[in-house]
Amino acid sequence: MMHSLRRTLVRSVHYSTKIHFQNMVRGLRKRHLQIWVALAILIPIGVVSAVIVRPELPKSKLLQPAATPALPVILKSFDKDDYTISIRGNSDTSMLQLQWINKKALTYPTATIYEDTTNTNNISNALLIGRIEARGIYRFSLSKNLVRNDYHFIVYDFIHKKVIETITF
Amino acid sequence: MGASYQTVGWNRQKKIYDWLIFSFCVVYLTIFIVLTATFNPDYTFETVLIRSTSTLALILLHVILSIGPLTRINKKFLPLLYNRRHLGVTMFCIILVHGAFSILQFHSLGNVNPFVSLFTSNTHFGSLADFPFQALGFFALSIFFLMAITSHDFWLHNLSPKVWKTLHMFVYLAYFLVVMHVMLGVIQYETNPVFIIIMAIGATILITLHLIAGISEVKTDTIRHASFLSRDDTLNGFVRVCDVNDIIEDRAKMFCLENERIAVFKTAGKLFAVSNVCKHQNGPLGEGKVLDGCITCPWHGYQYLPHNGQSPPPFKEKIATYDVKLVGTDVWLNPLPYPEGTERLGAVIQIENVKLKIENVKGEEQV
Repeated sequence: MMHSLRRTLVRSVHYSTKIHFQNMVRGLRKRHLQIWVALAILIPIGVVSAVIVRPELPKSKLLQPAATPALPVILKSFDKDDYTISIRGNSDTSMLQLQWINKKALTYPTATIYEDTTNTNNISNALLIGRIEARGIYRFSLSKNLVRNDYHFIVYDFIHKKVIETITF
Repeated sequence: MGASYQTVGWNRQKKIYDWLIFSFCVVYLTIFIVLTATFNPDYTFETVLIRSTSTLALILLHVILSIGPLTRINKKFLPLLYNRRHLGVTMFCIILVHGAFSILQFHSLGNVNPFVSLFTSNTHFGSLADFPFQALGFFALSIFFLMAITSHDFWLHNLSPKVWKTLHMFVYLAYFLVVMHVMLGVIQYETNPVFIIIMAIGATILITLHLIAGISEVKTDTIRHASFLSRDDTLNGFVRVCDVNDIIEDRAKMFCLENERIAVFKTAGKLFAVSNVCKHQNGPLGEGKVLDGCITCPWHGYQYLPHNGQSPPPFKEKIATYDVKLVGTDVWLNPLPYPEGTERLGAVIQIENVKLKIENVKGEEQV
C-alpha cells in the first residue's frame, strides 16, 4: 500500500493562496474524545428511552380476524327467508360448528345466539354461542357435546333484553 | 498537491476502492429486495426502497465512523482511510434516495408542500413516543449534504482547515440524530427486538472504538519526556528525546513537546525534525516513510522534503521544521518551531555514534 502511495502524487487541487494553518490538532483530538464521551452517555439514554416508550402493539396484524373456514359436513340445516342456520362438523364429528347465514340485515341492532339445552326458552339456562349483526356468514365453534338429534336455539336482543326468535330443528 | 484542478484524481487504488463500494451496495440492495419480496410480498416497492436504502446507509455510516479510530489503533486499516470521503459521498447519495422517497411516500399526496408537511404534520415535540422523528432524519440529511458538497479538497483550502474540520465534525451530531431517528421511528412499530439489538451493537462498537483511540491519543499528548537534563550553552532549550538507534532508517519517531507532536526522521545519514502534522488533513507524518527522499504522509501520500519541510516542486505545501542535535547517541530536540518551509541542516549521524552504542552493549554482555 505504501508503495502504491508513491504513485499517487498527482493531487486534485492546487491553490497558491496562503493557508494560515492554525495549530489546533491537539485540541481537535481532545474535542473528539469529549464528543464521544458525550455520545457514550447520550446514545444509551436515547436508545433506552425510546425502547421504554414503545407502544403496546396488538398481537394480530389484521383489523379483524379472518373468517373461520367451514367444516366439511353439514349435519343439520334450517332455512328461512332471513337466514339459514346449519350445524357443520368434520367427518368424525370431533369438531362442530354453528353456521349462520344472514341473508338480510337484522331488524334488531344486534343479536346473540344461545343454545337452549333445557328447551325452556330461558337464556339464563342457555349456553351463549355467539353474536350476529350485519348481513354475512357467521361461524361459531360448538362443543362436540352438542351433537344431538335436534337443536334448540334462542336469538336474543340483549340491548332490549328480549327474545327475538326461538329456533328448533 | 496537484498542479491543476481535477474533480477526482483517479488512480488504481481509488478505482478499486470505489468498485468495492459500488459492488457492495448493489449486492446488498439486491439481497434486501429479494428477501423482502420473498418473506413480505405485501410490501410496496416504495416501502422496500425506503427500508433498503436506510439500512444500507446505516451500515455505511457505521463503517465510515469506525475507520478513523481503527487506523489509530492499528495501521493495517490505513487503506480504508485513503478514500473515506468516497464512502461518505456514496452514503449521502443512498440516504438522499431514502429521504426523497420517504417524503414522496408520506408527505407528497396532500395539498400541503411536502417540506412544510414534514415539519407540521406532527408537532408532538413534547412526547417521546410520538416525537416527529422524520425531522431528525431531515436535519441529519442536511448535515450529510453539507459534508458531501464540501468533501473536495477545494473546500478544504478555501474554507480553511479549521472551518472545514469544524463542519465535518458535525458528522457526530448527525450520527446521534440518525440513531434517534431510527429509535423513535421504525423501532416504535417493529415488534422484532433484533432491530434494537443491531442498533445497540453498532453504537456500542463505535463508542468503544472512539473511546479507546481517543484516550490513547490524549495519553500520548500528555507524555512529557524527562527534559532539560542539562542546560548548558550548547544545548540550551533542547530536550533529550531518544537514542539515535531507536529510530529506524527512513522512518521517524514522534514526540509530543510543548504544544504539538514533532517527528524526527532518520534518512540519508542524518536526522531531521519536522512537524508531525500533514498540511492536507492533519495526517500523522511520523507514521509515514521516507520515499524517494521525501517524507510521505501515510494517509493520502502528501510529501515533504525533510531538510526544509517543503513539498517537492511544483507543489506548495510547507510544514514547520525544528532543530535537532546528536550528542553521542542521544537525540536532542528543540521544541521551538521555525517558520514553515525553513531549511535546517539536520544532525549528521556519525558512524562513531552507532559504534559507541554497539560497544556499550557488547561490554555489558561480557560482564
